[in-house]
Amino acid sequence: MLVQLKGGRIIDPANDRDEVGDLYVENGRIVAKPDGREPDEVHDVSGKIVMAGAIDVHSHIAGTNVTLGRQLMPELPLLAAEGGQPILPSPAAWGSYATGIRYAEMGYTTVIEPAMIPTHAIEAHAELAAIPIIDVAGLVILGNDDYSLGLLRNGKAKSDELKDYVAWTLSHSKALGLKVINAGGSEAFKFNARKFGLDDVVPDYGVTSRGIVEAMQQAVEDLGVPHPPHVHCNNLGIAGNVETAVATLEATQGRPIHFAHIQFYGYGDEGEKGFSSGAPRLMEAVNKHKNATVDVGQVMFGQTITISGDVLRQFDGRRAANPKKWIISQGEGNGTGVVPYNYKKKSFVNALQWAIGLEIFLLAEDPWRVLFSTDHPNGALFVRYPEIFHLLMDRDERARWLDGLPEASRAASNLAGIARELTLSELAVITRAAPAKLLGLTDRGHLAPGAVADIAVYTEQKNKTKMFSAADLVFKSGNLVVRKGNVVRVTWGRCYHVEPGFDAQIEKRVSAFYDRYFGADPSWFDVSDAIHRPDRFATIPCSKS
Amino acid sequence: MDSTLERAAELLARARLPVFGGLFTDIEGATAAISLAEKLGGVIDHGASEGLSRAARVMRETGVAPSSFGEVRNRADTIVVIGEGPLARDPELLDKLFPAEPGLPRPGDNKRELILLGLDKAKTPKGVPVTVIDGKASVPELVALLAASVREGRFDLRDEALRGKIEKAAARLRDSAFAVFVYDPAELEEPVLHTVLEMVRLLVKTTRAATMSLAAPGNGEGVNLCSTWTCGLPVRTSFAGDVPDNNMWAYETERLIASGEADALVWIDALDGEGADRPKGAPAIVLTSKSARATRGDIVIEVGAAGADHDAALYLPPIAGIGMVKAKAANKDKPSVAEVLTRIAGLIDAKRAA
Repeated sequence: MLVQLKGGRIIDPANDRDEVGDLYVENGRIVAKPDGREPDEVHDVSGKIVMAGAIDVHSHIAGTNVTLGRQLMPELPLLAAEGGQPILPSPAAWGSYATGIRYAEMGYTTVIEPAMIPTHAIEAHAELAAIPIIDVAGLVILGNDDYSLGLLRNGKAKSDELKDYVAWTLSHSKALGLKVINAGGSEAFKFNARKFGLDDVVPDYGVTSRGIVEAMQQAVEDLGVPHPPHVHCNNLGIAGNVETAVATLEATQGRPIHFAHIQFYGYGDEGEKGFSSGAPRLMEAVNKHKNATVDVGQVMFGQTITISGDVLRQFDGRRAANPKKWIISQGEGNGTGVVPYNYKKKSFVNALQWAIGLEIFLLAEDPWRVLFSTDHPNGALFVRYPEIFHLLMDRDERARWLDGLPEASRAASNLAGIARELTLSELAVITRAAPAKLLGLTDRGHLAPGAVADIAVYTEQKNKTKMFSAADLVFKSGNLVVRKGNVVRVTWGRCYHVEPGFDAQIEKRVSAFYDRYFGADPSWFDVSDAIHRPDRFATIPCSKS
Repeated sequence: MDSTLERAAELLARARLPVFGGLFTDIEGATAAISLAEKLGGVIDHGASEGLSRAARVMRETGVAPSSFGEVRNRADTIVVIGEGPLARDPELLDKLFPAEPGLPRPGDNKRELILLGLDKAKTPKGVPVTVIDGKASVPELVALLAASVREGRFDLRDEALRGKIEKAAARLRDSAFAVFVYDPAELEEPVLHTVLEMVRLLVKTTRAATMSLAAPGNGEGVNLCSTWTCGLPVRTSFAGDVPDNNMWAYETERLIASGEADALVWIDALDGEGADRPKGAPAIVLTSKSARATRGDIVIEVGAAGADHDAALYLPPIAGIGMVKAKAANKDKPSVAEVLTRIAGLIDAKRAA
C-alpha cells in the first residue's frame, strides 16, 4: 500500500532538507515519489511539521537495575504526578508497556537501553521485548569485570584475547555497543575505595581507569563496531569534576568515543559555595575534540530516581536519598546503586545543574556531537522531554524559568546571557539524525528513500511543550500507530545488535572462568534463544568482521 | 485439548475475580499469566509469596543492600548464616560459598570465616573457621543481640557464654572487609529483616557489608521480577481496579478463595521437583506438569515442565538473575504454560468479540 503524507514541512537535516513537500511510504520504508501511481492512502499534513521518528541514545528503560528501581519505588509515578509531571499516577506507568506507549505518543520510535549487565542480559532483553511499538537496542557493560581486568593485569590490553572477549560479550548479550561505567571505580569499591579518579589504580589488578578506557576503545575500534565506546566517566556529580571530563576527553587521543550525560560533569568548584558552572570550560573542550560525541543528561525539577552502575558514586549519593531509602547492590562487574532523588528549584546546586545542562546544549558549536538526553530517569523522567525542547527553543521560556530560581544560582550561571534558540532543524539533529549516525543505525533518523518509515508529525505551535507532548501522527515502520497524541495501534518493534566475530577459543576460556569462580555456565546468559518472537533481532554489520 | 481449553475460557470469561496462583512457571509462562490476569481484572500470586512479599515490603520501605552469589563466594571474608532456612533451601550452600580453590581478588587479608546464627547442626566445609551461636535464644533474639553488639550498644544477657560469642562475632564483623548476612526471607519476620539491614547500614559506614537472600522456590524471584517490570508491582497484585494494586495480605490466593472473593482459580504448577499445595474451594483450571490428581470439577491441562520438557528462562541463583535452562529432553507433545494461556486468552477475545 502506498501512503502519502501530503504538503507538510519536512525537516530532515541529514539530507539538508527543510521545505514543504510530500513524503511517500510503502512496505514500511520511505520511497521516492512513484511515477504514474496514485497513493492508496493520503494524510493531509499541510501546515504540520514532519520529522523522522525520534531516537533516544541513552535511556534506562529495561533490565535488572531498572527493575530494582521499580521494586524500591513503585510510588514514583504517583509522586511525580502529584508534583505536576505528565505521568499517570499508577505504578504501571513506568512498567514496560507504558514506556513504549508514552515514547510513541511523543514521536519516539527507537530507544537505547545503555546499561545491560552481561550476566543479566536475558532479563534486559525480556524487558525490552515487553515494550511495545518502539525499536530498541542495548549497550552491554564491561570494564569493571574480573575477566577484563585479569587480562589487563596480565598485560594483554592490546591482545586478541581482550578483543575476542569484547566481541564474545557483545554477541552473547545481543548488544549494539559497549558501555564503560566509572572504569575500575566499581571494582575499587569492592576493595572499599570511596573515590576513584582517572589515574587511580584498581587494587590487585594494577590498572588505571585511563588504561581500561583506552583498552576498550582499542578493542571496539579493532572490531569495527559502529558505535564507539559509550563512557560514563569517573567522579560523576562532584564539584570540580569538569577537570576529570576534560582530562578524559584529552586522553582519547583523537579516537572515537561517546561520553554519556556530561551535564553531571559540568561542575566547577568556584564561588562561595564551592560549586559553579563548568559548562563553558567543558564545551570548549567538547567543541575542540571532534572525535567525541556527548549526550547531555539534562536535569529537571521534581521527583525522580537515580539508577546507575556507578555503584561507588551511588553509595556516596545515598545520603541525599529522597525519599530516604536506597539500594546498593553488589554484583558481578559494576553492581548497581538505586537512589531516589528530588531535584528542587530552591536548591542552589539543583538549580545550577539545570542551568548547566541547558548551557551545554546552547554552547555546542556542532549539534551533531551534542545529543539530547536526560539520562532517564536520572536527570528527569523521559516524559519531561517536551518541556526541555521548549526551553532550548524559546529564550523567553528560559527567562521565565530562571526568574523562579534562587538568586545565587542565577548569578552563578551564564544561561541568562545566552540568546541562542535551537531551530526545528537543530532539534531534529540532536533527537534524530545525530543519534542514528552515532549508533550506526543508518536506516533511520532521516527521511530519504530507503529509510525505515518512522515518522513523527507535529502541529507547529509557540508552546513547544504542547507541540512535542503529543504528535499528530506517528508511523512506526510504515504503520500508523499514533493519532492526535494517542496510540491507535500497538505494534512490536525490533532489537538491533552487532555480531562481531571472535576466535572460538574465548568461549572455552570464559566457560572455565565462570565454572571456577561462579559455578555457572555462560550458556545460561546467552541471549540467542531467549526471546521467542519472529524477526525480533536485526544485526548491524561491523566494518571489520 | 480444544474442548478443555474452551471450558477453561468459559469459566474465566464469566468469573468475577479469577486468581492466578502457584505460578511455578518460567518467565514466558509468567508473562502470559500476568497478561491474562490484566485482561480479566484478576489477581496474580505465587506459591512462595510469603517470603517474596515480605522482602518486597521491606525493600519498598527502607531499601536493601544485596550482594550476588558470585560476590559472596569470591569476596566475602565473613559470612553469617541466619536461621535454618538457608541450608534447608540449599543443603550444599556452604560448600558453594566456601570453595576449596581460591576465588577472585578480594579485599583485606582476613581468613574467610563462617558464623552460624541460630542453627546448631550443619556440615561445614573443611578448613573454614566456624563460630556457632545458638543457645536457648530464638533467631530474632540472636539477631537483635548481634545488632546491639555490632553498634556497641548495651544489652542485658545473663548467659555469659552466649554474650562472649555475640561480642566476638560483632567484633569480627566490624573488622571484616566484606561481611555478608545470608537468610531466607520466608523464615524471618519483617522486624528481623529490618534489624539485619540496620547492621549492614552501620557497617558500610566504614567497611563493606551486604545481604544475600535465598531465592524462593518455584522460580519465585523470576516471576516476581516479571510482574514488577510488567505492571510496576510484585506478585500479590490485583488488576481489578483502574490501576494495579499490591497487597500481601489482601491478594493471597488462599485467603481470596476461603473468603469467597475469588470465584475461579488458575493454578500453575509446571516445574520439575518443586510444587506448592493448591488451595481448594473454588472452581479451578489446573496447568500441571505432574501426574494430575484432579479434584472433581477441575479443568486439568497437562503442560510441559519448564526447563525439562522445553527450554525456559528461570531465575538462577549462581548468576543472581534470569538465565536460560535448556530442556533435558525436549517434549514437543506437551504445550508450555505460555502456549496454553495464550490460546485461552485468544478464545476469551473471540467470545468477547462475538
